[in-house]
Amino acid sequence: MLSRTCSALLAVPPLPSARTIWISKSLGRPSGRMSWAVRAAMIGAYILLVEWMRAVASTFPGAAIAAVVLGGAALALTAIGFSAARLGLGTSRLWLRILGGMALAAVLLLPAAARANTAPILPASLALVAMTISVAQELAFRGALYAALEEAGGAPLAIIGSTVAWTAAHALSHPPAFLGAVAAAGLLLALWRWACRDLVAPIIGHVIADLAL
Amino acid sequence: MKRPVLLAVAAAAYLIAAWMVAPGFYDGFAPPQPYNWTSPPPVAAPGNLPPKSGHLDIKVIGGVSDANSAFTNDGQVVIGFLPGAFDATGKTSISVDIKPESTFAGPTGLHFATNVYLITADAPLVKAANLVLRYSDLVPAPSSVYLAVDANGPWKSIGGGDGQPFTIQTTTRPLGYFAAGYPANATRQAPTGTSQVLPIAVAILILGVLIAGIPLAMVRRRRAAGEVEEPDEDDEA
Repeated sequence: MLSRTCSALLAVPPLPSARTIWISKSLGRPSGRMSWAVRAAMIGAYILLVEWMRAVASTFPGAAIAAVVLGGAALALTAIGFSAARLGLGTSRLWLRILGGMALAAVLLLPAAARANTAPILPASLALVAMTISVAQELAFRGALYAALEEAGGAPLAIIGSTVAWTAAHALSHPPAFLGAVAAAGLLLALWRWACRDLVAPIIGHVIADLAL
Repeated sequence: MKRPVLLAVAAAAYLIAAWMVAPGFYDGFAPPQPYNWTSPPPVAAPGNLPPKSGHLDIKVIGGVSDANSAFTNDGQVVIGFLPGAFDATGKTSISVDIKPESTFAGPTGLHFATNVYLITADAPLVKAANLVLRYSDLVPAPSSVYLAVDANGPWKSIGGGDGQPFTIQTTTRPLGYFAAGYPANATRQAPTGTSQVLPIAVAILILGVLIAGIPLAMVRRRRAAGEVEEPDEDDEA
């Protein structure tokens, strides 16, 4: 099933080769790996700054919701300049992407569901805020940062780099014991992004998981 | 290694990693540090750490106590004092202590969602102090903060409003024993309600994926046998 779902989304042309990029540079187009590396570094630093500031701001009384909303808006800004397709937001076979999102959500929630007595309760009033930050985080980490890293160094760098940044971004807001699970979730979502060239499913999975918990 | 295999391995790795920390990965809101209970409910018993106390010395400058906040070292209680909050007559500093208490008056007709904390100062308050109590995300949210000025009670509601997530705040003039909770007959959702909803939600997700996936797999198999798939026009290039 997973294989079928992914294969349906994988029928896409390959990324530009190194030779193509070299030719682009020769012609004076600013799309070389170095410029992408710089862009990826800037996006990564910006995302970490926003996430850490959000974590610190959330500790002030009454500032948590504002911090999440403003932080989400700041994260979403990273997607500017990327086409929807480059971010993985294509609309073809949308129902497959939705199905993938449901599958990812099931995996993300399974450990908590199996031990439901220890599951936290997300107040209903915070649902919209939780959705906002979920979408923004996916746009930033698996969208813009992933795309920039992939251009700079290929899929392995994009997967590892976005996962490391995702984990580091949660270092201030999560107890250290949780960071292994955070990293594993980031790796799973990044691998989906790579394997299916799709960001819709990670967004849906992340939103459902955050709404449930 | 094929992509679906890598995905499956990553999913398995996630399940193992998330299983090792209760309740597993969750990210909707930064999980506050696990609540430290004096007497943990069964769901929080594994890994529970004892709550911490706090101490503050407030300077008295020109006969007026300074503004400052006392808090426990695990951040579960914060109490803020305005300038001149204390009657500082004859004092050069005022000592404030916050201690989690395991022996206190029974909260008849109440359910406490936090520990009981004894807050004391060596000078009387003359202005209301702002009190913030954090509560566990494993229990229903409390509706009010309760105060008992004496170890024998009685407990009295002093109100309470939402602060940042998983906190309740109010103001108080008297000091004494504080806890956040709700009346025992309140119809708030109990944790067991959530414990039913989450497994059902996950079961529905899995069923949905399977039910929608079977016809999809059949269609794809049929197509794969006779047709070459067209590339997507809107996927990344």
